[in-house]
Amino acid sequence: MKMSANTADKDNNVSTNKNISLPISRVRLIMKSSPDVSSINQEALFLTTKATELFVQYLAVSSFNNGSGKGSKSLSYSDLASTAEEKDTFHFLTDILPKKILAGDYLKTLEQIEDEEADI
Amino acid sequence: MDGDGSTTDASQLGITGEYMASGHYVLQSQEDDGDESLNDHEEGGIKENFREQDIYLPIANVARIMKNAVPQTGKIAKDAKECVQECVSEFISFITSEASERCHQEKRKTINGEDILFAMSTLGFDMYVEPLKLYLQKFREGEKGMPGVSVGEGLGEELTEDSFTNPLPAGIITADGQQQNVMVYTTAYQQIPSVQQIQFS
Repeated sequence: MKMSANTADKDNNVSTNKNISLPISRVRLIMKSSPDVSSINQEALFLTTKATELFVQYLAVSSFNNGSGKGSKSLSYSDLASTAEEKDTFHFLTDILPKKILAGDYLKTLEQIEDEEADI
Repeated sequence: MDGDGSTTDASQLGITGEYMASGHYVLQSQEDDGDESLNDHEEGGIKENFREQDIYLPIANVARIMKNAVPQTGKIAKDAKECVQECVSEFISFITSEASERCHQEKRKTINGEDILFAMSTLGFDMYVEPLKLYLQKFREGEKGMPGVSVGEGLGEELTEDSFTNPLPAGIITADGQQQNVMVYTTAYQQIPSVQQIQFS
């Protein structure tokens, strides 16, 4: 498992330990899966990788602060979902971070909708 | 599901095992396409048989960054880690498509550092721009004097102020016989005689 950019990475010959803890080749793969992307230069790749690291930190801290406000010291999925809704910067995540509801509540909502439709 | 459209068999999905972060993500996407099988040709721009959101960074790396970010005593739920993993891929795609658009607008084919920084500030991550610039500077400094390193296509386009910050001291003997030291400003990297010249490929 790649722990840093220092380890042999067949995609680049550069050995630099500028505190990256994410596998660059994997980042590159994700970037290339975007439509219409032909090639990515080395700098762009490094910047994206570093930005991703900052993003993870930011997301973790924002969500954790949400959670600790309620007295718990742990980060849960719902903290993330709340953060995505509340912070503008994270709005792009709302599609993949839907708030979870209990199955029971969902079924009740469905029943209500059915009742309303039956009345029409 | 009765299993006709669902599979976690890597060979059927056309991806190698190492890209599957965990079985249930792939299963989820298969359920969506169950009836269409792997008929992704209609969706423009999909190059392989798996969708972009199926590729993730390793959860161990992601979890480690999260752990280092939150206070020592904090715990992180497992589904939160998995979720951040997905968010990360989303983030990368988000930035990349914005950068790619700008690139195309300027009729270039290669996404460079500038495009990424521009995308960051456009998308509301402008607080990252300054730290990233510093990081980029360090990266560039790390590149100098390294033999045989291919630095990337984009650098040749960027004739910014930074290109002129490495003057070469040169001794010149002037017409009246006095030697002067003159600084020679070049746009190429410093050429050290003992080191092979860096090739821009």
